[in-house]
Amino acid sequence: MAQLHRFLVSSHEQATTGVFLLRLSGCLAALPGQFVMVSVLPDSIPLSLRERPGEGFKPAAASAGCDPLLRRPLSVHDCRPGELDLLYRVAGRGTALLAGKKPGDTVDVLGPLGREFPLPAGRQAVLAGGGIGVAPLFYLAKSLLAAGREVTCLLGAKEQAGLYREQELAALGAEVRVATDDGSAGLRGPVTGLLREALSRNRGPVYACGPEPMLQATAALCREAGRECFVSLEARMACGVGACLGCVVPVRRAGRDETARTCVEGPVFSAEEVYGCATRPDSENRPSGT
Amino acid sequence: MAVQPDLTVKIGRLELKNPVMPASGCFGYGEEYARFYDLGRLGAIVVKGTTAQARPGNPAPRVAETPAGLLNAIGLQNPGVEEARLKIRRLAGYGAPVIVNVAGHDTAEYCAVVEALSAETAAAAFEINVSCPNVATGGLSFGTDPQTVARLVGELRKLTAKTLIIKLTPNVTDITEIARAAESAGADALSLINTLLGMAIDTGSRRPLLANVTGGLSGPAVKPVALRLVWQVAGCVGLPVIGMGGICCAGDAVEFLLAGACAVAVGTANFSNPQVCPEIIGGLAAYCREHGFSSVRELVGLARRQEP
Repeated sequence: MAQLHRFLVSSHEQATTGVFLLRLSGCLAALPGQFVMVSVLPDSIPLSLRERPGEGFKPAAASAGCDPLLRRPLSVHDCRPGELDLLYRVAGRGTALLAGKKPGDTVDVLGPLGREFPLPAGRQAVLAGGGIGVAPLFYLAKSLLAAGREVTCLLGAKEQAGLYREQELAALGAEVRVATDDGSAGLRGPVTGLLREALSRNRGPVYACGPEPMLQATAALCREAGRECFVSLEARMACGVGACLGCVVPVRRAGRDETARTCVEGPVFSAEEVYGCATRPDSENRPSGT
Repeated sequence: MAVQPDLTVKIGRLELKNPVMPASGCFGYGEEYARFYDLGRLGAIVVKGTTAQARPGNPAPRVAETPAGLLNAIGLQNPGVEEARLKIRRLAGYGAPVIVNVAGHDTAEYCAVVEALSAETAAAAFEINVSCPNVATGGLSFGTDPQTVARLVGELRKLTAKTLIIKLTPNVTDITEIARAAESAGADALSLINTLLGMAIDTGSRRPLLANVTGGLSGPAVKPVALRLVWQVAGCVGLPVIGMGGICCAGDAVEFLLAGACAVAVGTANFSNPQVCPEIIGGLAAYCREHGFSSVRELVGLARRQEP
């Protein structure tokens, strides 16, 4: 059940330029693939009036906590008893504000939200992450490895500095392959360049998260190979709980074109639902949470 | 031990245990928020704009954040009145009166929805959305002309004895003309404001942020405009007014009551704080206690009395 939590920042480090690992202390029962909506407001600004019976009326706070107005959706990067990790890229005003949080500050967290990655039936799985798309895959890899599955992780980025969590994933026991656009690490080219070969060795389903062109290419390769594929999508969201209908994505289900709410029917979708759809918007319509 | 202030208010034939309700479009059919608190604590629940047939809504992106505000162009996505009926019945089980927001592309569609639900006991009242800015026909185009509003309200009045609330758009030159037209045609109450037409452009892609190009602006950014319009409308009609527009806390709600609203609706604030409605209910009670009001009704229009 999704709940509102107030978590303490235990550490907050810049993993690489513009990418932060935010470690929160607090209990959240999240599954791999789920996300949270976080308030990016600094601690000096109360999120809301916090008016509850007995607490009295606080008119001074009336206009505080209004800007940025919305929470930011961030995928669960790791979740341990009493600890929650979020890995995010500063992409706009909201995430830039969040980056200012210091150890000892608090973060208002709504979650866990959304659907998790369906677990593979067999012993193997292929995980493909483009850039910050590794964020939800790390927790999935960790869970699968802990359950004794064989995990192949394909990580892609523009350049070596954009590859996150490569060593950690290898240390956990995943087979890690990397690709960079400029060839500064691993294969030169998109991460999907690693996929065909990986599919020949690893018989498991593919779990992908990353930029829209990468997801499309991954879905196409999987379809060609007859391999099951799940994608984790990003969308502009307002409520995160399914009420506002702001984050819909066109999907094809049972031969019918319809829309699905990314927040409650996703963010994990079967690639067939999303990319088997005729009315797919172009990639500029799928920005990340800023 | 302080006496608990009386929070009850009346809107037409509706008796509400407190004056706070979630605004249409920001609360779906209630099911998403039932996990956060007992929905029976709400004064009323206003559901998503409901049309005769199911509507798929607009293409994405449908939402864009702006300074202290939110632009949306959802496009009245809803499952149609018959599926909505089932959701409304479930929602009525929580105990708060359910107000059905009604939309349509022409008079016949508004009438069809009201007629379909006029005998539905789970529907306590109708809020007629003549102010949606995000659909090509109906919606806003109905709400900007006093004669059209009067004709529509007249037709609906013949179809139902339930409380008819007309939701007004701020996108007009003189809202008082529309308010008076609705009153004279038999409306029981008015609610305002719906969203203000706006837009935002992505400087990176050099394209509008919303697929629909324009959308409706809500959130704290619109509150001063909404408050002024509530003040104007409450001063020109005898009908109860439900005030809304950017309400985020009890202080905002008190302002709308002081301007002349009998009740308030809370919209966009639900998105950032799912518990905002019960927090505001608690805050209103605290305000009454601390300022010596035995009933929240004593606040209604109080700011007007100091007018010179």
